[in-house]
Amino acid sequence: MVNIIARARKLQELLWIRCGPGALVLPKEVSKISMEFNTKIYGGHRGARKFWREMLPRIKYRNPSVPIEISRHTSPDGPALLHIYTKTTPNTPDGSSNTSVPSLHTQSGTADTPPSSTPNARNTLVPDATKPTYSINIRDQQHSEILDALLAKLPESEVVRPTPEEEQQMVDMAEFKERSEADRVLVREKLMKERREAELLRLARGETAAAA
Amino acid sequence: MATPRSLAAPFSVTRLAASSLSTLRPEVCRFATPAYQTIRCATTSKTQPAKKKKARNTFRQYDLKKTEQFALVDAMQYIRAFEVGRNPSSSKYELHVRLRTLKNGPVVRNRLRLPHSVKTDLRICVIAPADSKAGQEARSAGATLVGEEEIFKQVQEGVIEFDRCICHIDSLQKLNKAGLGRLLGPKGLMPSTKTGTVVTNVGPTVRNMVGGSEYRERLGVIRMAVGQLGFTPAEMQENIKSFMDALKKDVSQLQDRVSKEIHEVVLSSTNAPGFTLNGEFKGPNSISPALLTGPL
Repeated sequence: MVNIIARARKLQELLWIRCGPGALVLPKEVSKISMEFNTKIYGGHRGARKFWREMLPRIKYRNPSVPIEISRHTSPDGPALLHIYTKTTPNTPDGSSNTSVPSLHTQSGTADTPPSSTPNARNTLVPDATKPTYSINIRDQQHSEILDALLAKLPESEVVRPTPEEEQQMVDMAEFKERSEADRVLVREKLMKERREAELLRLARGETAAAA
Repeated sequence: MATPRSLAAPFSVTRLAASSLSTLRPEVCRFATPAYQTIRCATTSKTQPAKKKKARNTFRQYDLKKTEQFALVDAMQYIRAFEVGRNPSSSKYELHVRLRTLKNGPVVRNRLRLPHSVKTDLRICVIAPADSKAGQEARSAGATLVGEEEIFKQVQEGVIEFDRCICHIDSLQKLNKAGLGRLLGPKGLMPSTKTGTVVTNVGPTVRNMVGGSEYRERLGVIRMAVGQLGFTPAEMQENIKSFMDALKKDVSQLQDRVSKEIHEVVLSSTNAPGFTLNGEFKGPNSISPALLTGPL
């Protein structure tokens, strides 16, 4: 098990998944988001990957019922796309699209949701035939530009603003990071000095041994 | 100080004092210069081991009051956000249970079948005569390999195409004679009564194993995969509950010799940090569990 201090530090930094760019509640008609890009960053796929790593957790945290799927191919010249699927029927009042389905790991997706990445069935399920409502080309774009494009397509989505406490926490965290960076330099200097002295001593001792 | 010495000197120049001085002085002189560095080293190395602390025989535990604890639904919401875009069949929920226990005491080790199994493609080998009743039972329960000599031969050739191995009690002698311990032992596949893989009724054991998973305590922590990423909170709750019940039972069976208590339960997953659970299903600010039922 990871040391509790390291774990607690990670959990303190959970703030990043709650607030920041990408923390938005999508409009109710969005049924699924999928991305498609290369496994490597060459050929303009860097922004897409960064968007996945940084923004998608925030989107998923705020929209836990929206399936998000990523498929990655191996050719740098291949497409880099962001698909948004919508459905015309609005969701159930609590925002969930499939409250009637107790579990999806035993059965395939329901009629109103496109079958997504259910366990063990990602590649065996019948591929989703529905056309995405919007497809955004995200090649050669920064991750922030991708987010802007997404927001432009879905203007009804509601951006979650951090509360004053969270803002304060974010400021504290930034301060802490800055300080730790400075401390790291200091500690490194000290360590290097110690190592250098030890090395010198070792050399000196080696010389005396050779002389004797 | 200078005057007393100069006064005392004429009086104290007896034979004894003079001889002791003369013997002392050359000694100091002889060793002073070359031994300067070595003496320094020797003194430092002598003082250090004297401070040696008594080694602790329990694992170090931290107070959990200061850490943030999560309800199951909250933890799952975070974990699902961390696992976004991953292949749900390759990522799993893991449970880590930390125990308050001795470092050198007996360890908890068992296997159980979760209500919702995590891994289903386990290949099981049963060592029993293929045409016997036990062999047929094993086949019907889902064993992939049943036999005696054929399997020994295969293993000796280095073909090990199974993940678990069970031996019927009547075939144990033959197995021991075949000398497979050196091949199967390092992989943890050698049947033995200690691990509960030498049994009389093969059928139920195999059935338990097909959906079952093993756990054991290592360095005071028990880790086990408890769910697929697509599980709903209710399914996860059932799995975690049954695992903890089984664990408590194991611990109580050990109780006559040692005391083990559960210190901390952490839920994590392949790509997410560990969330300390507070034992509740849902906190006051949690989202509806129905929101977490959908595909990832």
